[in-house]
Amino acid sequence: MPGSNYDRDLTVKEGFNLKKFLVRWEMILVYILVLLNLILIVFRTDLYFQAGTVQSIINSGLDVSPLVLGMVFILLLGDIDVSVAAQMILGGTVTGLVIDPSMGLVPMEAPPSVGVIILAVALGIVSCMICGAFNGICVAYLKMPAVITTISTSMLFRGIVEIILGENSLKNFPSWYGNIGWYNIGGILPLSMLLFLIMGAIFIFILHRTTFGRKVYIVGNNPTCATYSGISVTGVKMQVFILMGFMAGIESIFFIGRMGGGVSSSMGTGYEMTAIACAVLGGVSTNGGKGKMYGPIIATFIMAFLTYTLGLLGVDPNTKKIFTGVILIVTILISTINRQMIKDIKLRLLYHSNKNIEAIHDRTAEAVKEMKAQIKELQKGNASDKAAQIKKLEDKIAAAQKECEEKSAQWWAEQQADAKKAKERFAK
Amino acid sequence: MSDYILELKDVVKTFGGVRALNGVHFQLKKGEIHALMGENGAGKSTFIKVITGVHQPDSGTMLLEGEKITFRNTADSAKVGIAAIYQHVTSFPDLTVTENIFMGQEIKNKFGFYDWKVMRQRAKELIEPLSKEIDVNKPMGTLSVAAQQLVEIAKALSRDARILIMDEPTASLTRNECLQLYRIAKELRDKGVSIIFITHRFEDMYELATRVTVFRDSTYVGTWGVDGITNSDLVKAMVGRELTAMYPEKTAKIGDVVLEVDNISKEGYFKNVSFNVRRGEILALTGLVGAGRTEVCQNIYGIMTPDTGSIRLEGKEVHIKSPIDALKLGIGLLPENRQTQGLVNELPIYQNVSSATMKQFVKAGQLDVDAEMSNAIALCKKIQLKANDITAPPSSLSGGNQQKVVVAKMLSSEQKVLIMDEPTKGIDVGAKYSIYEIMNDLACKGYAIIMVSSEMPEVLGVADRIVVMKSGRVTAEFTDVAGTSQEMILEASLKEKGGEK
Amino acid sequence: MKNLLKSRNTGLVLVLIILLIVARVVTPGMFTVGSMISMLQNNTVYALLAVGEMMVILTGGIDISIASQLAFVGITTTVLSTANPGVPGIVWVLVGILLGAVCGMINGALVGYLHMVPMICTLGTMYIFRGLAFVVSGGQWWFAADYLDSYRFWAITKIAGIPLLVWFTIIIMILAGLFLGYTAPGRRIYAIGTSRESSAVAGVKEPAVTFYAFVICGALSGFSGMMYTANYAIGYYGMAESFEMTAIAICVLGGVSITGGKGRMDGVAIGALIMAVVVYFISMIPGMSVWQKALQGGIIIVAVAINYFTERSAEKQALKERGALI
Repeated sequence: MPGSNYDRDLTVKEGFNLKKFLVRWEMILVYILVLLNLILIVFRTDLYFQAGTVQSIINSGLDVSPLVLGMVFILLLGDIDVSVAAQMILGGTVTGLVIDPSMGLVPMEAPPSVGVIILAVALGIVSCMICGAFNGICVAYLKMPAVITTISTSMLFRGIVEIILGENSLKNFPSWYGNIGWYNIGGILPLSMLLFLIMGAIFIFILHRTTFGRKVYIVGNNPTCATYSGISVTGVKMQVFILMGFMAGIESIFFIGRMGGGVSSSMGTGYEMTAIACAVLGGVSTNGGKGKMYGPIIATFIMAFLTYTLGLLGVDPNTKKIFTGVILIVTILISTINRQMIKDIKLRLLYHSNKNIEAIHDRTAEAVKEMKAQIKELQKGNASDKAAQIKKLEDKIAAAQKECEEKSAQWWAEQQADAKKAKERFAK
Repeated sequence: MSDYILELKDVVKTFGGVRALNGVHFQLKKGEIHALMGENGAGKSTFIKVITGVHQPDSGTMLLEGEKITFRNTADSAKVGIAAIYQHVTSFPDLTVTENIFMGQEIKNKFGFYDWKVMRQRAKELIEPLSKEIDVNKPMGTLSVAAQQLVEIAKALSRDARILIMDEPTASLTRNECLQLYRIAKELRDKGVSIIFITHRFEDMYELATRVTVFRDSTYVGTWGVDGITNSDLVKAMVGRELTAMYPEKTAKIGDVVLEVDNISKEGYFKNVSFNVRRGEILALTGLVGAGRTEVCQNIYGIMTPDTGSIRLEGKEVHIKSPIDALKLGIGLLPENRQTQGLVNELPIYQNVSSATMKQFVKAGQLDVDAEMSNAIALCKKIQLKANDITAPPSSLSGGNQQKVVVAKMLSSEQKVLIMDEPTKGIDVGAKYSIYEIMNDLACKGYAIIMVSSEMPEVLGVADRIVVMKSGRVTAEFTDVAGTSQEMILEASLKEKGGEK
Repeated sequence: MKNLLKSRNTGLVLVLIILLIVARVVTPGMFTVGSMISMLQNNTVYALLAVGEMMVILTGGIDISIASQLAFVGITTTVLSTANPGVPGIVWVLVGILLGAVCGMINGALVGYLHMVPMICTLGTMYIFRGLAFVVSGGQWWFAADYLDSYRFWAITKIAGIPLLVWFTIIIMILAGLFLGYTAPGRRIYAIGTSRESSAVAGVKEPAVTFYAFVICGALSGFSGMMYTANYAIGYYGMAESFEMTAIAICVLGGVSITGGKGRMDGVAIGALIMAVVVYFISMIPGMSVWQKALQGGIIIVAVAINYFTERSAEKQALKERGALI
């Protein structure tokens, strides 16, 4: 081929950059987490080091953790699933019904065997996956908006539980089942954390190391391109929604434990919100395609400690909702503020939306920066006419700045005059 | 008083660091039709938006009848009588024709409420001289493109426009519709309306305009009287150099038929389309925009499936239901719009390159990123991609290099047939040449290539055989490319329904 | 095929009539004037919320914080009115509308000017308003005995046998219909819902339109918050939970396209009536009340699916017409 002047190696030039690593969003989340712990340590030293405190913070806070992992995938697709809490309740109800003596699988007056429990849990998870598949069909095949679909299926799933249970709650779980959510291995390591970290590792692997994860990114960023690249958009969406259902099923196991071994149709409202808030706080964009798995995992811990800290401060659980809402909104706002936005705001406020004024300011700033560097250079050295040269440069800087100000003022005046004229002309 | 009704001097407009207009000039005489020409991305669309007040220029002056003027928004420009009909008709598809006409200047009754009855009546009066078939109560989205343009013209007339801007109005019209448009434009001109007519087609220019202005790469090239400039001079002004030696020499050997499309139809898009393509051959599928070429390709590639007819690959009938099937069979497609169909701008280049062939790099259930990268690097080197780093996102590249990334994506798996839909749209001349080289290279390797293109010189320069489509039908096939002229292709692509066979 | 929207409305009316006949057969007691009026009185809050929600959905957005706004405003007017018994009741109506408008402004600013995704933004504010409702209430409940007559007057006083609340709703629906159909700000809501790009070219300021659509929605939520407490004489922070779903259901049922730009007031009014009959009907049959949630959820899904299929068939029809030209 002609054009022999092609000499690019295209390989990755930039290696590990500590500076960049330290200001990554995930690292910032780690700092926040550490800070929260420090606050607790300083203000509640005795309580913090008391046996069981940290474990109970983690146990209670990791409530939503399986939902968070699934929600990350859903959000990466650019969709949303607000029916997860309802799915989880439905799954718990199915589990509870299977081990209910009246169903005939378990003899009266005897605790259910482990085998039956496993079957019951499996059926609970499967029912959640069916719920997920139903959402998936609506969203992927019928192209219904995910918001509306899951809002209504959330009512539907909860409604089904209500039809089955009415106002009652199902409380026939064996006591050890109810304790899973609070169990600490060896009295130290919370089971829920261990499981969360294992699941987290699996999810990191799936998202960042497999073709499926890559497909999720591609579909989330540009579904049309995905179709043209031979990726089945409907297939990926279905799989993700079913995966979300599976995680809701897993969640139901822990949830029942935390609710004291019972489940009813009105429990767990707002779990979907917390899960979404954790994912968003973890850096996942609600527009789809942007975000990693690590952030939401750390964010889940942050939420756990934050909730507990607020509790210690005497904040009522209902009032905490305000904090969850504010955190959600503020983190999204932070993620939308980027360089371009700052530049735009600067342009609008400082430079009166005049690109020429902006340009001359930028140019002057650059020139001044360069001259200042020269001055520094001169000061280091010991040229004979050092002082004179520095003086000359300083004058130059002053002159440049003055010119910049004058020009800006002149242009601004012109612009105002134009605007005034336009206004007069177009005022009927 | 100035000779010119509208004059623009040294207009600059930037979008986030990209110069969309770089000091352009323009002068419009009263009662003239002034053609504005230039390649895609030359800045014509931005230019109109500056005139109509959608965008405010960063610097430069605009004079209306010699008087300096600034528009704060579109309402200002409408008040002085400037109206525009945009290329992608910017209507409200869900709203009725009446409402579209009166958007922004609705007629109200004495209580301040909209008077729909009067508006409908006025709309009828405005539309009737243009077309008798448009129902003003129908939603805009249900009309044909030509009818929508007529509505836009009616809208402009309703505002007593003195300056009318038409952005490529003839691009997707039938011959008769074009003639009707010419007639209306001339009538308006005779009434004293000044018209800026943006077009790609020389025919439009000769038919209508008295003067022509050319933009290239966001800059002003020049203004000429239509009588005083030749075709080749204009082309030179538009593309920046002469057209000769723009295409590499063809070296591929043409073999057996690989893909055969037999009488396929898809309701609403095309009817009874048949053609074939051979190994090592570059088949051009041409015609005007909207003739159904892209849709035919999409049906071969499985984005849609044809209602009737059959497709044979190497003699065997194939049923392609999705791009997954097509890729498995060895049919690749380089989509028309690289931004929305070809690239994921947020992912690194190497992931874009391997997005259709990820499976190759799976090792023990895991994506082998190193293998993926080295494969992408090899491919990108082969097509001479100008990028610094394979992990950079494609959005950091120029249009031509972005297109090369999409090409690399298609090359990452072995194919028998490669469909390239407008492969050189909106990229610079140098990049075009290297795309042609790649095509030639692939043809030598035995690929059968179908190239969809609207640019006639390109079609004549690259293709071994030419198929022309018009309104969803194949109207002509030229096997002797050397003996084919632009006029012959144009004639075929404007052929009326009744005129065929 | 003359006008899809119109034919859709006739279909809805048919559904309504069938529902009424079924209700008549199953529960003959339902068909007294008194019970009809009480049916209307008890379901107008949904209708009011639906009118507001419609404004936002027409822009292509969604507001799921309306029920929380209702609770927050309802609690606030309750607290204020019980603390200031001397103030005339109409003041609390106005305070409710104003407070709701302020809630709407927050949503409108975040979505319109700071470009947040409406769903996520209102998900956040839904929590915030509900939390604020709790803070204002202090966890307390208010019952009939706590409410002042002057406060309740504006909801339950009957004119021509029909409570004021119902009159208000009818007037608001007529005004909203005029606003959406015959005024510039109303038509702008349709314009940005139809095509944001075209709106920009036509000089429609999208952020401002989004903003006032949310403000109207908020004002109506606030109004219904005050009216809810006045009508039922009950107030607690968890009231009206998931009413936003019903409001969305009414909109979708009434033919409002969830992607914006399509839908009319008359359709929503009929949708509200259908929902009222369904809800009332369910409450009349013993043991059926547990079915309410599941049925509502099901209705929305079916309504959206029907919308989807009618749009699909309209597209197919358009393709066929185009095909005839080839």
